[in-house]
Amino acid sequence: MGKKLRWRVLLIVLVIVGAVAGYVFTGYQHAKKEWTGPGGPTLRDALKKAIKLGLDLRGGIHLVLQVNTADAVKAERDDAAETLEREAKDAGLGPLELPTDFSFAVAVTPQTDQARLEDVAKRFLPDWTYSTGGGKWTFTPKDASRRVIEDNAVAQAVETIRNRVDEFGVAEPLIARQGKDRILVQLPGIDDPKRVKDLIKNTAFLELSLVESGPSTEEALKAQFSGDQHKIVEAKTVAGTRERTFYAVKRQAVITGRDLKNARPSQGQFGSHSVSFFLTAAGSQKFGTATGANIGKQLAIILDNRVQSAPNIKDRITEQGVIEGSFTAEEANDLALVLRAGALPAGLTYLEERTVGPSLGLDSIKKGITASVVGAILVFVAIALYYRRAGWNAIFALILNALFLAAAMALFEATLTLPGIAGFILTIGMAVDSNVLVFERIREELRAGRAPKAAIENGFSKAWSTIIDTHATVVISALFLLQFGTGPVKGFAVTLIIGLLISMFTAVFVSHTVFELEYGRRQHIDTVSI
Amino acid sequence: MELFRQTNIDFLKYKWWAIGLSWALIALGLFAVFVQKGLKFGIDFSGGTAIAIRLAERPDIDKMRGILDGAGLGEIGIQRYEETEKNSVLIRVQQQAEGRDVTTEVLRVLRQGLQAETDPNKIDINTEGRATLGARLAAADPDSVAGKPDVNPADYYAQAAERVIDRRSELGLFRSPADVDSVADVSDAVKAWIKANTVTGPFVLLSAENVGPQVGADLQKKALQAIIWSTVGMLVYIAFRFRSIPFGVGAIVALVHDTLITIGLLALLGRELNLVVVAALLTLIGYSVNDTVVVYDRVRENLKTPKKEPLEVVVNRSINQTLSRTILTAGATFLVVVALYFLGGEVLNTFALTLIIGILIGTYSSIYVAAAIVVIWNDFKKRRKLAVVPAPAKVEPPPAQPVAPQGKKKQKGR
Repeated sequence: MGKKLRWRVLLIVLVIVGAVAGYVFTGYQHAKKEWTGPGGPTLRDALKKAIKLGLDLRGGIHLVLQVNTADAVKAERDDAAETLEREAKDAGLGPLELPTDFSFAVAVTPQTDQARLEDVAKRFLPDWTYSTGGGKWTFTPKDASRRVIEDNAVAQAVETIRNRVDEFGVAEPLIARQGKDRILVQLPGIDDPKRVKDLIKNTAFLELSLVESGPSTEEALKAQFSGDQHKIVEAKTVAGTRERTFYAVKRQAVITGRDLKNARPSQGQFGSHSVSFFLTAAGSQKFGTATGANIGKQLAIILDNRVQSAPNIKDRITEQGVIEGSFTAEEANDLALVLRAGALPAGLTYLEERTVGPSLGLDSIKKGITASVVGAILVFVAIALYYRRAGWNAIFALILNALFLAAAMALFEATLTLPGIAGFILTIGMAVDSNVLVFERIREELRAGRAPKAAIENGFSKAWSTIIDTHATVVISALFLLQFGTGPVKGFAVTLIIGLLISMFTAVFVSHTVFELEYGRRQHIDTVSI
Repeated sequence: MELFRQTNIDFLKYKWWAIGLSWALIALGLFAVFVQKGLKFGIDFSGGTAIAIRLAERPDIDKMRGILDGAGLGEIGIQRYEETEKNSVLIRVQQQAEGRDVTTEVLRVLRQGLQAETDPNKIDINTEGRATLGARLAAADPDSVAGKPDVNPADYYAQAAERVIDRRSELGLFRSPADVDSVADVSDAVKAWIKANTVTGPFVLLSAENVGPQVGADLQKKALQAIIWSTVGMLVYIAFRFRSIPFGVGAIVALVHDTLITIGLLALLGRELNLVVVAALLTLIGYSVNDTVVVYDRVRENLKTPKKEPLEVVVNRSINQTLSRTILTAGATFLVVVALYFLGGEVLNTFALTLIIGILIGTYSSIYVAAAIVVIWNDFKKRRKLAVVPAPAKVEPPPAQPVAPQGKKKQKGR
């Protein structure tokens, strides 16, 4: 064995050992993280857990949500209108007009102190521009500040969703912002899509408002309360009835979800499920004042614009209260959870939803592996028949290719998806190409009367540039694939690219070394089995 | 074993016939697309909902359609997975108004319609997930673990629920409450509680996909961009590698040819275009050029010999020299995708079919489109008294040995 050859063999052995060790080590790391039972993970567990599986194989739910950022801007608009009204009381303002879109307007009368109004606007509403005319001042958010509001709304929505999902106890959730106003949520292993969707989308906007009148019909209340000071809210329908009832409540809530410190599910009087909440110091103060002044009146507990219940205020309440509704155990639990995790700053729309049930994932793995094994065996048989001994050299290179690909996927934490399994096996099919190119060249050289050793050398060196070409073309198109599509398709591209890069090493370097080991030592070779 | 020992087939003799065949295939595909009034898009691109469920026995499609027609969801498509799994169906629902949870609605309606008795107090063990089952078990506590030291009831029952659900996955679905008995490592008390407090619903959910119109339009755009840009990428690569217009044109025409025919034939076979099929198409683009490049490499190598030969002869010889490789590589890849087609399951079925068509067409086109175009281009130029020979490329294979003679006998001893 020549010195150069010895180093090459050593390198190959080292890479093999490294790949096996890397795969097993990563597998142990992953298995340990998930291990709950006594003892530790076995080698079998480690081998199974080394490669991260995509949602389509593990089962789980993939969601793309859009944050309706307009909601956040409108909320900001209402706050600004309220601030203006409060701060500019002494300027003799006319009534606030009902807001349209993102703007609001305040009417001015000849008595209005416009200099005072301008002062307030400059001091308290720096993010708003205003235009005068038509007997009113119209306030519009500045473009820059509107962008900040929208941006914050998305960031806050990401945080809120993360809190909620964390409380739900999902292993390895992915919650990430995508583009301007989209959020990607991936929850592996979740098989209750409805519950998760409700949980995430639940805006959980809680308001406690004083009831002016109700329960009653919508028409009756509308006739009585038409001003801006009140709003009419529908009550949650009682199970078994179809009757819709409404309450007229004060528009300005006593407290909202923002004043909450904590919430937890509790058992009501007759074993029914309810949610207890606890207020912050500031919230307690507001709540205490309001309830103290309105003993005997009804207080509506409104969640997402539905009156859950409207109990009578019996006493001054400061720190805590109970939301009673006809909740199931899960509903009470989830409501407490979302109240704790905070309200969403804006509504959400589901743009995309993909759920893979646990049985489909299991099926897909089984089928993918069967197809791969059968495909690989077919290729191996064909190669062994066609190239005889050299065929075994190619098969060895292909097996190493598969091993290195698996190790690389484990070490780079690449995700294996169902199309990824297809990419895995397709790599085997395409990697054969390099061996075929070389072997065909060697055959040609032999036919042309070259000595076996020279034929092997020529075969490898002449096929080299073609091998580069064939790999480059497939890798280029796979790179464009990476830019596109969702998880499973990306998984395919990743597998294909890594696999093809590895095949340059196995089909050329390893295969060449094996040939040299076989024929290099002998001085005279008469034939090459190819 | 050698199948193609020094063949000398005059491939290019039939080039005009082949071009006719190519046009016929393209026309056939266009016809199929035309008859269907456009390409058939999967929900990835068209938007809407697709729900796959598995039932206990062979599903009665008409009955299911009857049940779902009452739900006010517009036109509903129900399709059995004939090839891969006979007890499963795919339900397609059109795009609905925003905010409607179509998946939940369809499953609820279908469950009520298919199951004679539904007890509102019992959960359906075939459709509920482990979180709900675990929570119910923890609340009922059939093993009385609450209060015991070092046992967390939530974790304890979560594990039990997981075993039950895993068993359900293994079985496909629970056909009767008695199937719960076959769950391993779960106490009899838990099994008894499950049997008393759950019903075995008519189906399990395999997958549910719901794609909104925006995402569908986005993905359509991205897919088209990916296809166009990878074609451009190939063009750039070929231009850089061969520095010759006819070679570049030949490779790109072959690529477009393969993609068009494959899409057309998929339409003819009634397959839908979805993300996975686009992934297969992009792979095909790489494969098509790959195959062409091998022939071109050999043509270029053969052109470097000082001998003056007509281009057609050189190209023909190059095709013959690479024929063995072409057939063998295509054959190996073909074996693999055929295995995927028959064994890979529903998702990979159309993917594999795309590649089966693609490999056949791609292999044919590297000879009859890519190579033929170079020859035809040259003939055309010759008639205008201009010979076209590609400039020698800058990237050379490492010349370990002086240029060895080619495998042809007539070249021997040169």
